[in-house]
Amino acid sequence: MNIIVCIKQVPAKDAPLSINGNWIKESDIAFEMNEPDSYALEEALRLKEKHGGEVIALSMGPERVKQTIKEALAKGADRGIHIADDNFAQLDPLGAATYLAAAIKKEKFDLVLTGLQSDDHGFGQTGVLLAGLLDLPHATIIMAIEAQDGKMRLKRELEAGWFQHIECPLPAVLSIQSGINKVRYATLKGIMAAKKKEIATITPQSLGVTAQPTQKVEKIYVPTKTKKTEFLTGTPKEAAAKLVEKLKFEARVI
Amino acid sequence: MKILVVTEQRQNKWNNTSFETLAAAQQIAKDTSSTVSAAILGKGLSSLADDLAGKNVSEVLLLEHDLLENYTPDGYCVALKQLIESTKPDLILFPHSYQVRDFAPKLAAQLGKGMIGDCIGYKNESGKLVFVRQMFQGKTNADVTFQSAAPWFASFQAGAFRADLVEPNTSGKASVNAVSVNLSAEQIRTKPQDLFKEAKSAVDLTQAPLIVAIGRGIKAPENIPQAEAVAKALGGEIAASRPICDEGWLPMERQIGSSGQTVAPKLYLALGISGAIQHVVGMKGARTIVAVNKDQNAPIFEIADYGIVADIFEVMPALTEALEKAKNS
Amino acid sequence: MTPPQREQLEADVLIVGAGPAGLSCALHLANLIKKHNDSGGKPELSTENIYVLEKGREVGAHQLSGAIMNPKALAELVPDYEKSAPLDTPVTDDAALFFTEHGSFRFPITPPPFKNKGNYVVSLNKIAKWLGGLVEGSGVNLFTQFGGAQLIYENNGIAGVITEDKGIDKTGKPKDNYTPGYELRAKVTVLAEGTRGSLTKQLVEKYKLDNINPQIYSLGIKELWDVQPGRIAPGYVAHTLGWPVATDMYGGGWIYGLSNNRVSIGLVIGLEYADSQFDPHEAFQKWKTHTHIKKILDGGKLVRYGAKSLPAGGWYSMPRNYVDGGLIIGDSGSFLDSQRLKGIHLAIKSGMLAAETIFESLKVGDNTTKTLSGFQQRVEQSYIKDELWKVRNFHQSFQHGTFRGFVHTAFQQITGGRGLIDPMRAEAGYKHYKKLASPAAPPAHPEDRFKGDGQLTFDRLTDVYHSGTRHNDDQPCHLHILDSNICATKCVEEYGNPCQYFCPAAVYEMAKESIGALKLKINFPNCVHCKTCDIADPYQIIDWVVPEGGGGPNYEGM
Repeated sequence: MNIIVCIKQVPAKDAPLSINGNWIKESDIAFEMNEPDSYALEEALRLKEKHGGEVIALSMGPERVKQTIKEALAKGADRGIHIADDNFAQLDPLGAATYLAAAIKKEKFDLVLTGLQSDDHGFGQTGVLLAGLLDLPHATIIMAIEAQDGKMRLKRELEAGWFQHIECPLPAVLSIQSGINKVRYATLKGIMAAKKKEIATITPQSLGVTAQPTQKVEKIYVPTKTKKTEFLTGTPKEAAAKLVEKLKFEARVI
Repeated sequence: MKILVVTEQRQNKWNNTSFETLAAAQQIAKDTSSTVSAAILGKGLSSLADDLAGKNVSEVLLLEHDLLENYTPDGYCVALKQLIESTKPDLILFPHSYQVRDFAPKLAAQLGKGMIGDCIGYKNESGKLVFVRQMFQGKTNADVTFQSAAPWFASFQAGAFRADLVEPNTSGKASVNAVSVNLSAEQIRTKPQDLFKEAKSAVDLTQAPLIVAIGRGIKAPENIPQAEAVAKALGGEIAASRPICDEGWLPMERQIGSSGQTVAPKLYLALGISGAIQHVVGMKGARTIVAVNKDQNAPIFEIADYGIVADIFEVMPALTEALEKAKNS
Repeated sequence: MTPPQREQLEADVLIVGAGPAGLSCALHLANLIKKHNDSGGKPELSTENIYVLEKGREVGAHQLSGAIMNPKALAELVPDYEKSAPLDTPVTDDAALFFTEHGSFRFPITPPPFKNKGNYVVSLNKIAKWLGGLVEGSGVNLFTQFGGAQLIYENNGIAGVITEDKGIDKTGKPKDNYTPGYELRAKVTVLAEGTRGSLTKQLVEKYKLDNINPQIYSLGIKELWDVQPGRIAPGYVAHTLGWPVATDMYGGGWIYGLSNNRVSIGLVIGLEYADSQFDPHEAFQKWKTHTHIKKILDGGKLVRYGAKSLPAGGWYSMPRNYVDGGLIIGDSGSFLDSQRLKGIHLAIKSGMLAAETIFESLKVGDNTTKTLSGFQQRVEQSYIKDELWKVRNFHQSFQHGTFRGFVHTAFQQITGGRGLIDPMRAEAGYKHYKKLASPAAPPAHPEDRFKGDGQLTFDRLTDVYHSGTRHNDDQPCHLHILDSNICATKCVEEYGNPCQYFCPAAVYEMAKESIGALKLKINFPNCVHCKTCDIADPYQIIDWVVPEGGGGPNYEGM
């Protein structure tokens, strides 16, 4: 089973953010693999262990992104593809998906996996857009995959504790739910082997597609509290009653 | 401008966030002098369609088909694409549900457009609509605009608007128009199968709209049931700051903070939590924050909308009682 | 848990730690090997058989220093370093300041130890990252997120290292992704773990490698700030003495101006003070309120926080740095000039001398002390000895207070380091604690401790947040208390649980259990790997072991 995993490199989770217009200042920030994508990668590696085949790690962004691809290779991906683009953070979801899809189209694959969303932009659309651009069936929030005879039985998570089984043909695009597996550690042998694995670097231009922006992040900002804290006074009983009233009629959250 | 709200139902039961989206649409319509229509997809929907007709919408569009009875991304995309091409709405709004995440971006892309998803609000800047969403897990907000001509697609986060503010139809009922859908079985590639519920193996606090969180102020595990009673009366989930989970008094998946979950619920009630930065980064995206702490200088009050400076052991039972009363009233 | 089956790997050379010492050793050795192979040397050697282990998430993540770097060693290692090394700014002004609570005065002549012309203000994190890139480019295998957990003992020395087990939950049970540590064997293992290395500690203990003095330490606490333009000139270097460090303690502050209105500030405290209730973090926050510092920081923003111990014992605390199959370099080997507070160039030089020794060893095929003792010889013939010899009695001079310290060091300055007593003996820092005369005040609830104002001064937890430190919560605690009965009984009475005060990362707390008794609570995920607890605990029952690789601080820019 040949699987392409789309992996994004994002600012480290606790990095103190310095806002710069519609993005952040990248100097003095550490980057890491987007955590939701690490679950997709783990799922791909498990499927490869079961069914054989190849796992390709695909990512897009500046040169530093190669570090994250190497991590995927160290964990067991067979080769990497890096779409080199210094301006990647400015692409809208359709733009990013357009380039990724073009790169994917050049490969032979059975499955494309993505994480649910990225920890930076959090658009959560890449998998679904890829399916559209590749004209493939898809499913999202996948908890479990069973593959047999050219098709899959998937377990999909719904809201409020509900789940559903879905039958889906191959090839397809799946977005994997976070936390469904325990992500493996890179082994020493894996890290050494990764040095010899191929990372193909391609430019967006070489893919022969152009992405017209459909949406634009104009600016980002720290949300300021518009109200001051309203302290509710009186005995605990009185304050509690006041609070419930406020929550019901003012904040309207209950 | 014509606004279309795509509502959501499953097995003939409403996903109530559909009405939040309707409220949003009505608000935008007022702001921009536009009309609102509502669409519903499925099979055997007459009573749900009737619900919609009782709201202030210009019409209800009913898309029924055997193959729409169970949701599939292919089925919904084909049907909605036909609807959009025939009725030509300018702005199409969805609730940001698991289901919408599964098909709406693709629907927009098929029409060469983009979807701004998971919005927490919008702004009207001299006639131009700007949609606000969160980035960096709620640490920042982002103002996003559309860069193409209509139609535009957007979805709203659960709780961003209030379903109870939907305006009813004051002049009778809106017309319910059946829209024919051309859909064949070959177009639907995934086959939905059994729906089932599972004993919740893991709690996903990021999906909980109401959260009651406890901190060191709870002092001992024997006291946690008092907080759980508040959560139950509220209809919310219990969560905790790191020290509580470190002690094993609550499982780690209940932990909120830089090393636990990051949440942005409608309501976050912090009981006996000081507000150390490690905790605050995990919850300051919450819409309404209430803090109860006996230290008036606790940093949590800096981000709280409502605060009670008191002993949580006196406030918790009072709160449970007041919430129960409100539920029953 | 039954002992796991460990995968075995073999290398020629294994270096534990990718700081300046470890990386310099790897790079210099790789260069020597390349030259050797290129000129047809036999036997042919491979740079790929050099492994470097680094416990941090990436190279540089755990590197923290002021820092002022003397470039002489780097110039030998990378001759064109001026073009490629991230040197931030040359030192333009160096001042020695004396603080009183309400004023300060600048020494008219900067005392020689504080003179820094010709040196650079740098971020050690950036230097390490840059060196790491060069090391990887040379073919050496650099493994991040792997720590050395245990030594493999053989004959009279060591044969390698066992890395930490991964994927164990907090109760000690293996998880789904359990991966036992590797048994990494090597002809020569180099311990370059930095200050108070955990393997180094074991090795020194096992083979009695201690010198006439045990190692003695200081604790450095640092903050990196972005300040308003015009407040600090790049290359401005100042060291402060006096307030708020009491005269019976050793310590002082630093202010280093970097480019782009960034400033590095910190306080160093000798870990041999008598008052077990002393709080170095609070002292540092207090120091910042001095008008001289406040002027610089007002209106600025805290960027990052960190803390690390420093080995201050110098030449007489240097353990024997060679055993069969092993060498000790860098801070682990006491290669730090505590008078000038400089260790980077000595770390680099020690790494290079170790590389030369190892190169010899690989060529002749002998990894015993016969060849490895050549390291010590090389050290003695190099400027390392020249420099450290002159300050061999420096830090010990301050054991009995600042005034006596000044007297001793003045004499040392004019006698090439001999001074009034040579060798001046020192006791391990923890032995200096005075027992409490009366019971300590009950420990303040962590949230009632020093709060800071949130703008200029900060409480510990806020500071720790800015260290970027992260550990997988679901793993065993890496701070082993060898006798947990002492904490709530003996220590409360005798010393008042100093761990709550000397840990700069709010790891240790004496919490009142609901039933009223005190209990030691360890918040290990906050740990910044400074090793202070291992050093300063009065009963020496805290054993710092390496946690699951990748955990620890994120000292970006530090």
